[in-house]
Amino acid sequence: MENIDFNQILSIAIYGSAVGLILIGLYAVLMKKHLTKIIIGLSIIDAGIHLLFIAIGYISNGTSPIFSEKGISLVSEGTKMVDPVPQALVLTAIVIGFGVTAVALSLVIRLYRHHQTARIDQIKTLKW
Amino acid sequence: MRKLLVLFLLAVIAFSLYKPLSTIEFGADRMGSIENPTTVGAYYLSKTPSELSVANVITAIVVNYRGFDTLGEVSVLFLAATGLGSILYRRRKEGEHSISISKPSSQLLQAGSKLIYPAILVLGAYVFIHGHLTPGGGFQGGAIIATGILLMMMSYKDFHLNHTVLTWIESLAGITFATIGIAGLIVGKTFLENFMPIGTLNDLFSGGIIPIIYIAVGFKVAAELAGVLDTLLSIKEK
Amino acid sequence: MVVSPVHFIAVPLLAAFLMPILAKVNKNLLRIVPGIVLTYLGYVSVVLMNRVATEGTIIEVLAGWSAPWGINLVYTPFTGFLATLMIAMSFLIWLYSFKFKKVDDEPALKYFILQLMLTTGSVGLVLTGDIFNFFVFMEIIALSSYALTAFYRDRNGAEAAFKYLLIGAFASTLFLLAIVLLYSQVGTLNMAEISVRMHDVPTSMKVSILVLFLVGIGIEAEMFPLNGWAPDAYSQAPSPVGVAFAALVVKAGVYGLVRITYTLFGIEGSGIGPFLIIMGGITLVMAEITALKQTSLKRMLAYSSIGQMGFVLIAFGIGTHEAVFGAIFLMFNHAIIKGLLFMSGSYLVYNTPNKEIKYLSGYGMKMPVISLFFSLGALAIVGLPPFAGFWSKLYILLAAADGALYGLIALILVVSIIEIVYYFRVVGRLYFGKPAEGSIMRKPTVGGMIAMSILAIAILVVGFYPDIITGYIDAAASSILNTDEYIKNALGAVNELTPVENIIQ
Repeated sequence: MENIDFNQILSIAIYGSAVGLILIGLYAVLMKKHLTKIIIGLSIIDAGIHLLFIAIGYISNGTSPIFSEKGISLVSEGTKMVDPVPQALVLTAIVIGFGVTAVALSLVIRLYRHHQTARIDQIKTLKW
Repeated sequence: MRKLLVLFLLAVIAFSLYKPLSTIEFGADRMGSIENPTTVGAYYLSKTPSELSVANVITAIVVNYRGFDTLGEVSVLFLAATGLGSILYRRRKEGEHSISISKPSSQLLQAGSKLIYPAILVLGAYVFIHGHLTPGGGFQGGAIIATGILLMMMSYKDFHLNHTVLTWIESLAGITFATIGIAGLIVGKTFLENFMPIGTLNDLFSGGIIPIIYIAVGFKVAAELAGVLDTLLSIKEK
Repeated sequence: MVVSPVHFIAVPLLAAFLMPILAKVNKNLLRIVPGIVLTYLGYVSVVLMNRVATEGTIIEVLAGWSAPWGINLVYTPFTGFLATLMIAMSFLIWLYSFKFKKVDDEPALKYFILQLMLTTGSVGLVLTGDIFNFFVFMEIIALSSYALTAFYRDRNGAEAAFKYLLIGAFASTLFLLAIVLLYSQVGTLNMAEISVRMHDVPTSMKVSILVLFLVGIGIEAEMFPLNGWAPDAYSQAPSPVGVAFAALVVKAGVYGLVRITYTLFGIEGSGIGPFLIIMGGITLVMAEITALKQTSLKRMLAYSSIGQMGFVLIAFGIGTHEAVFGAIFLMFNHAIIKGLLFMSGSYLVYNTPNKEIKYLSGYGMKMPVISLFFSLGALAIVGLPPFAGFWSKLYILLAAADGALYGLIALILVVSIIEIVYYFRVVGRLYFGKPAEGSIMRKPTVGGMIAMSILAIAILVVGFYPDIITGYIDAAASSILNTDEYIKNALGAVNELTPVENIIQ
């Protein structure tokens, strides 16, 4: 009984914070005027989705998918490991997110050099 | 007005995210049985120790099962570094020189960072060399090394990286990765397939080509992240 | 070493990693290497196209793990056709931009690397059989496009690129979210196996995933209302990059849309078909009306490009063999015709302020060859016989008539008239406008002339003898429509561990 309750709380906490991160990021992208803040918003959305992905791969009472001692056999010992695929994919997604952020920041530097400002409402050509 | 609209939109999105998520039970075992796998996760767990002899299943997935993704991922990093160079390139005029924009740092930070800089580099190297045994790997190790370099850039105004060396490391590491992949084709197997002895589980020298690729990735990531940081941190001024 | 589909990705990536070192040896190598690589890939395309015609779909297993456990490349008549088209267009773009920048300029190095990566990403996206790998290639395309859009320092490239990046990064985030939800339901990432397991997914979840996927890939396919980036990017990027957008990026986007709707979800009885027709229709009408109002030539071409993609979406939405045939034919035609229009158009407006059309009066006398190329492209794209564009339009109209979609036929005809108006406005100005004084002509490079001539000849040849290409397009249309065949090939042929019967159970 206690176990189930704990799982439920964990589920609300993790799904909730993942969705919360996505919403916070979206708010920043939609409302903020400073280009750097918009990029931070995008990174926050990314973080939310990564958290969600890891959460989906989680299995209750599972261990990390590493065979840390010699001869450990997953099947006979009866231990459970969490799904390794989401973790591997999130690693890829994080690196890709880094690439996008770096290019975005360099564009902001270019815009700042050109217009002497990085606010979206003061760069005319960015309006649409 | 705009704020209200945005908040309404966010509420709609939150609701539409809540609906599908409520059907995905948290912590439920969706992988199924390991003995008779129907999902990729279970299959990887069942095959990795015996067929690849790699302790860290995530490394096995990243470098072997889905190694093609990682080749793409490395190209994304390479592209980011190249794109950054292209976007921020300015022809150097007479009398211009590169300066770091960070303010001079305190004596304490300078002394401290000098002390831990080698330790960070060693830790980074450790993480990517042992990527197939312990948590971590090429990307993580490379990122650790880059933080060490960032620390030095912040502490010492005149700390600069030699871009020629970085280019060589980047290119050679990338070529190593792609060549190992093509070598698989040459010896008559498939692209990126392991063609070396796999050794015994949990040995440092195990896993065939996996540690070699991950070490190359570690060098590449470290060089690229450092290059990106250096480009972003230094601007050319008169 | 036997040629195989993985050469399309491995060889250019190896070359791209080598190029920074080669540049230190000899700067001229930089321009030559992409040409060598693309020539080799052209050879690979020819060999594989012949093989796929005789032996059927080619499956390439990667890293020794057959599908669905590992990533595989699926070379069907459809993906092979697109890959070949992309390699050919990349080669022409390389020819066109051979003298693009002085060799001693550092950006020249980056330009050629970025273009090569754009090609790799597009071809990889088309060939892969794995949804997450698809996402990775999508990001390779996106990052190289952002950097190429902002390539020129003296234009508003950075603004256009930032707009593109904001929309693109948001879309790819949604695409990733779709993959997350999909993985939680099916526990696999191979597209063929996802297609098999899709039947068990609850409908509400299916709808969520589909919407996220459509938004994610609709950006690259220039679907309304996600195409705000396109006109800016087309007009601010260097002109060879504009060609690359029309010939590679958009094609990859449309391919993704088709693969996801046709193979993953199934087009029949799911309501996706009518949805695609409606979205395509809105895209078409909005784009063509906006194109009519444009004063800048490149923006006009960009909106026309969006309109054509709306057309392609409509045809894919109808979903019969004839319509899909027309759609693939139109994708091919759009690549070669829009390529020619962008290449010749950017020489026409090279020295005019703001690339505006009104300064082009009388250029027909000053730049006779380039004007002729542009006019040929204009005649072909509006669908006048006997040029290439006529046939694709005809097939789509016939398909619409077969489906008794008379409203659609009327819409297409009205839009065609709008198209004729704004293209002939430019052509008319070229030949009948009063020449302005003192404008400096830009002399085309030899490589540029060769590239444009090849495209012009292709338009004429396909216009007069469509039979030389219809065989391939027919096979491509059959292959995209036959989902069972795709699943069987991708999973069954090489997979002894789990025969298809086991997976379906």
